[in-house]
Amino acid sequence: MPAPRDLRNAAWLGLIGGAALIYLCLVGLVDAFAERNVITDVVTLGRVMLMLPPLAVGYVAGRRLQRPTLASRVSTGALAGAVAGAILGAGLLFASAVDVRGIFLRITPAVLDFVAFGQEPVVGAVLNVVFAAVLGAAAAATGSLAPLYRRPLVAGLLGIVIASLLEPFLRPRLQEFELSWLARLLYQDHGLTIASAIVVFILVAAVTAFYRPARTGVQQRLARADEGTRNTVRWVTYLALVALLLSLPQLAGPLLSQVLVLVGLYVLLGLGLNIVVGYAGLLDLGYVAFYAVGAYLTALLTSPHSALGLALPFFVALPIVVAGSALVGLLIGAPVLRLRGDYLAIVTLGFGEIARILFLSDALKPWLGGSQGILEVGPIFGVSAIDLPILGWRLTGPTLTYYPLLFFSIVAAFVAWRLKFSRTGRAWNAMREDEDVAEATGVSIVNYKLMAFAMGASIGCLGGAVFATHLQSVFPGSFVLNVSITVLAIVILGGMGSIPGVVVGALALIGLPELLREFAEFRLLVYGAVLIVMMLLRPEGLIPDYLRRRELHDEEDEGALAGPEAALDTMASSSQ
Amino acid sequence: MQRLRRVKLVDALLWVLRIGIVVGVAIGVWATLSAGKLSGDQWRNLVIVGIAQGSLYSLIALGYTLVYGVLLMINFAHGDVFMFGAVTAFFVAEALAADGWLNANPAIGLLIILAVSMFTSMIVAVLLERIAYRPLRRAPRLVPLITAVGASLFISNSARGIYGEQVKAYPRIDALEGPITLLGIPVQKSQALVIVTAVVLMAVLWYVVERTRTGRAMRAVSEDKDTAALMGINVDRVISTTFAIGGLLAGAAGILYALVFGQVHWFMGFLPGIKAFTAAVLGGIGNIIGAMLGGLSLGILEQAGPYLLLGGLGVPSPNQLRDVIAFSVLVLVLIFRPYGILGRPESR
Repeated sequence: MPAPRDLRNAAWLGLIGGAALIYLCLVGLVDAFAERNVITDVVTLGRVMLMLPPLAVGYVAGRRLQRPTLASRVSTGALAGAVAGAILGAGLLFASAVDVRGIFLRITPAVLDFVAFGQEPVVGAVLNVVFAAVLGAAAAATGSLAPLYRRPLVAGLLGIVIASLLEPFLRPRLQEFELSWLARLLYQDHGLTIASAIVVFILVAAVTAFYRPARTGVQQRLARADEGTRNTVRWVTYLALVALLLSLPQLAGPLLSQVLVLVGLYVLLGLGLNIVVGYAGLLDLGYVAFYAVGAYLTALLTSPHSALGLALPFFVALPIVVAGSALVGLLIGAPVLRLRGDYLAIVTLGFGEIARILFLSDALKPWLGGSQGILEVGPIFGVSAIDLPILGWRLTGPTLTYYPLLFFSIVAAFVAWRLKFSRTGRAWNAMREDEDVAEATGVSIVNYKLMAFAMGASIGCLGGAVFATHLQSVFPGSFVLNVSITVLAIVILGGMGSIPGVVVGALALIGLPELLREFAEFRLLVYGAVLIVMMLLRPEGLIPDYLRRRELHDEEDEGALAGPEAALDTMASSSQ
Repeated sequence: MQRLRRVKLVDALLWVLRIGIVVGVAIGVWATLSAGKLSGDQWRNLVIVGIAQGSLYSLIALGYTLVYGVLLMINFAHGDVFMFGAVTAFFVAEALAADGWLNANPAIGLLIILAVSMFTSMIVAVLLERIAYRPLRRAPRLVPLITAVGASLFISNSARGIYGEQVKAYPRIDALEGPITLLGIPVQKSQALVIVTAVVLMAVLWYVVERTRTGRAMRAVSEDKDTAALMGINVDRVISTTFAIGGLLAGAAGILYALVFGQVHWFMGFLPGIKAFTAAVLGGIGNIIGAMLGGLSLGILEQAGPYLLLGGLGVPSPNQLRDVIAFSVLVLVLIFRPYGILGRPESR
């Protein structure tokens, strides 16, 4: 039997879960996704949302037990879930009795009906309690499973959700490749069929279960192989990766290519901001200014309708754009770099807003076009479509923009990667960890901060340049604060200072939302939540840079050094 | 050697900037005044509107300054705390105004609305501290800062989701329409109310901080958290109280904002938030009197500045550039006098 303290703990967790449930209903997430099928006739995305809080509190309640046994886990998990469900049920009863739509727009009769599983409010409330208790108990019980089993289970469930989200893109694509039968088998009414959900679950779970042993096996065999074989394997891997990246737009089709271009743009921006925030530790909230400068400079130089009227080809204009943006980076950087971290954040935010207002203003209209922006920016290769004779590909629109974007991203990633281990990179590390000590050991703070700003600016302006040619016009409306925040969220989610992290962050925060059209209005809400949750639970990001991880977990390392496991951990992370 | 030269280069740049600003301001002011574009009355009205707006900024700025005083962190989400109170109280105001009750009893009605707004903002601020900031108190500086940015997004977008994204028009109160004469100067009644309320609240705040036990505890925590804890002060509770006071003031500012501008919406926290921060920095962050002074000067500068500085230089539609003035003030203050008007260099 769980101790009274554990029960109190579980009830408290249940309260938090209930608050989360009510919040999800109030803010409209349940409403927006109530109709989106995950598994047709079984579960919708709105239901998945309502399942998450009970699952989470049940799992945590099980984890926090003093002496965990399966029975005590299940009972505390069930208690936590039941409390959460009871709060949702109470909310349901209240909203059914009193009309709250005048204030809470999202509490429509349809939502109430959905929350009540289509039953009468009283029955629905009871059902919610039972349902949440079962979920909480199940989640708590998984705590007893060995990670070997738990990981595939969670991955399989996630796989089902993601496979169902891919439907709007995958189905038309399958039909184009004359695989309509497969599409019909997989999807029904925009959701997975029950059979395909089971298949997806088993596939994903199996891959997850066998991935780790397989990887270690391959690594061991590689370690035993001689130098020549290892090189061959490495080059084959690289070639396969490059071939995949090059043919991605053709596989994905124009719709997904548009998403790919967006993701690519944000990868580029993220790589730039990663240098400023991740390497140098300067929080820049006005990063959009560099993106805007890149776009506007490109437009000014390449558009025949701009005030300059030069109509230069893109690649002639590019060096001027990069140099100009780096200069702007230096000019903005020079006066503000003496400020301490939090002031710097606000001042850069101010600069971002100043840039936007100036681009929009009547005062600069003759040059920058005010709210109309600059039109007819030339396409990137001078033509709007390219036919590749050998492969029979026709590149146009997003499938064309993808390639320069890929090229710039790889260049930027390479530069960032080389910089990280250079003298400059080490100076940035030192400066980030302790400015005073770094300066005392001879690192010129001003120089290195300026360099970080200029590097970040020139990579950001590449994104702006490609963006301008992709849209073939620039408008001040594209360069709002939200862009800065989005890029910051990408860097934070992936992990400050981590290059693969930027790619993962962009895929998760730009790619995933594109799959969910209903999601548009909740985007910033989720970015905000991502920033908070990451900082609270995993400040080093999803794919952490090992230096950052050690920095951010200073105290724990020191405290745990006595244990042999911790020592091993430290050794493992330093040898990475 | 090279390093020395580099620093001097930046210094030179800053001096060029200083001289350029002074010359630009002088030319702009001279050109405007000699052209006589606006009459004396118009200037006076601009200044009064500026004072009313400035006292709003002061109230919000106090929240920044108080929190900075005890935690040495910028609570980025403070502007959204301000927004949340005003938007929530809108529904109460609407309900009260439904059958003309609010117009019949403007004083009691306003007090109720004010109380609701202040209470809501206080709850939001305290929850914010408890959930998002307290666990990170010992983390590296960048971490709570990023959390605060996230919290700002989260709160404003929650309001957008919960209450909808349309602009909400606050009910008009007849008793506040029209001008009133204060010290021989005609002032809009709503603006007069804003100024008076702000002054009263600031006086109360000054009393709380300087003359009560809680205030003494707050000052002790702001001096040194660890020593304060050793003296038997419950640091967590004092920090919560500080956030609560900041939230109360922000909630009051929210209602005053709604009275002056007549409408509220989910995004209204952003600009006043940044400007109030500017005011706090301008006055010297961490300094209560400074926040009041900074707010007033920023309000006046922002109202009169565009006409005075830019109008004379022949910039078309200077009013569009009002926000640029506010941001420029922020940047310039931080570059040249980061400790503000009343701060001391050591306190940076």
